[in-house]
Amino acid sequence: MIKLQNIQKVYRTDTIETLALNGINLDIAKGEFLSIMGPSGCGKSTLLNIMGLLDMPSKGSINISDQTTNNLNDKQLAKFRNHKLGFIFQSYHLIGDLQVLDNVELPLLYRDTTAKERKRLATEALEKVGLSNRLKHFPKQLSGGQRQRVAIARAIVGNPEIILADEPTGNLDSAMGNEIMDILLQLNRNEGTTIVMVTHDESMAQKTHRLVRLFDGSQVQ
Amino acid sequence: MIKHLFKLIWNKKKQNFLLITEIFVSFMVIFAVFTLVVNYYQNFKQPMGFEYDRVWVINYQSDVKIKDKDSLDTYYKTMLGNIKAMPPVQEVSFASSNVPFSANTHMNNADYKKVHVNRVNYYTVGDTYDKVLDMKLTEGRWFGKQDDAATVKPTIINQSLRQQLFGSGKAIGEKIGAEGSKRSVVGVVQDVKAKGDYQEAGLAMYERIDTSANDGRGRILVKINDKADAAFESRLYKLMAGNSNNSGIEIEHLTDKRKSANNLTLVPMIILLVVASFLIINVALGLFGVLWYNINKRKGEIGLRRAIGASGNSVSGQLVTESMILATLALMIGTFFAIQFPLLNVFGLAASVYLVAIALSIIFIYLLVLVCSLYPGKQAAAILPAVALHEE
Repeated sequence: MIKLQNIQKVYRTDTIETLALNGINLDIAKGEFLSIMGPSGCGKSTLLNIMGLLDMPSKGSINISDQTTNNLNDKQLAKFRNHKLGFIFQSYHLIGDLQVLDNVELPLLYRDTTAKERKRLATEALEKVGLSNRLKHFPKQLSGGQRQRVAIARAIVGNPEIILADEPTGNLDSAMGNEIMDILLQLNRNEGTTIVMVTHDESMAQKTHRLVRLFDGSQVQ
Repeated sequence: MIKHLFKLIWNKKKQNFLLITEIFVSFMVIFAVFTLVVNYYQNFKQPMGFEYDRVWVINYQSDVKIKDKDSLDTYYKTMLGNIKAMPPVQEVSFASSNVPFSANTHMNNADYKKVHVNRVNYYTVGDTYDKVLDMKLTEGRWFGKQDDAATVKPTIINQSLRQQLFGSGKAIGEKIGAEGSKRSVVGVVQDVKAKGDYQEAGLAMYERIDTSANDGRGRILVKINDKADAAFESRLYKLMAGNSNNSGIEIEHLTDKRKSANNLTLVPMIILLVVASFLIINVALGLFGVLWYNINKRKGEIGLRRAIGASGNSVSGQLVTESMILATLALMIGTFFAIQFPLLNVFGLAASVYLVAIALSIIFIYLLVLVCSLYPGKQAAAILPAVALHEE
């Protein structure tokens, strides 16, 4: 499903060169739930961004769903992300000025879908995460767990093959974190969605199929 | 997407209120400037209706003590004859003080049946006034000897007054004015832009000078040929000084008076344009700053949109479209107020002036907003999604 070959990422300034990722090789199978762990600054989020085509590697190749993405232009990358990938972030990244339903509809705005279809799909996605009674609420009227559930609904509304989650339980207490984790596990089990999750929480990582550990930009497990 | 952007703008109405107000105020100022410019331009395009080149104006104060009307008539005819006898002079005529390009006006009303027209400039002129200024008759005739014995005083009106009084009906021979002071229309002349190139001709009525009275003879218009020089001007001055026996004589050239009249119109216009330009620069900087600030404030949103499928261009397009929607809202309010001017006929200008000014102002504001939002939009497109999401 996702194949990373010899991925290297170097951040350069005028005086400093920082090696964020060094020779990462990773194969993630379809339907797999993989977690990435490691200390702060080890390159977890960088790796996730590269998998999500939000950032480009300095070296190496990325193959997602049998498509090499290195040579795609900005427009093609945007379309690829829209159709194949869903994102969940630690800080939710909901648009505060839009209601829950409008936030969930967002990825569909960049596709050829009618307003009616968008509304139907967004409502279905919110039902899946148990928030069908919060359609007209604004994000600030929701708890942290609810916000993250909205973000999950937004990630799955376009029915992507892969979900990339960057510390999805990082801002939540353990009860809410478990709720979110349950939703992700359910998605993986029932829909067959491939999920890659960055986490600091060992207990959450243990619930996934496989754990990859990074240290100083290199894969150690 | 447009509906989505409307929703986003509506939900941020408090933040957008100031920006909309700023665009609205700019529109009203631009509308005022364009109204003046369009009005002046439309006036400028109209023909002058007369020739002012090589026409001089002699201002003099008549202190003639002759009581007998015939003798007075003879005296003035001799005065004109003496002037006309000077070699460079082609034609000469008495005129009231409201000669072309002067600041004087003799305003009165004109009535015809139930039609009442205000603000008509009354000119008292001699029989050769039309020849001095090369005025164009469109109907009837100019004053002449046949009017000496007229029982109803003759009058000549300009085309605009003719239109207001008679429309498409017959004008020649009709009686206008109040009962007891009726005038018979004997001719219609082309409109004369007597206040300069940029002012409208207005309504005008010409009355024949009374040949046996001192009234209405404050000015003499002299048409000269191209051989007239300073020496001739000096001779003319001496002749007039000898005739009128006082020193209150001044000779002016209509070309100079035209320049002064045009300056009186253009200088305030230029000042207004300069002030408006500063305002526009301020508004442009304000818009630019607000949009720039919005981009920095909305980096997280931009990063998110990029992550979920927006290309750089569509992010840029979204920001520009948002600005254009805000401008549209401001312009809708502005147009509502601006359209009241032609509807209520506020300053008596033609409706077309206001409508053209509204259209130009709308185009100008859209261009201004577009220019101010293009660069911030381009900057937004260049934001790397990973960086934007990380910063948030």
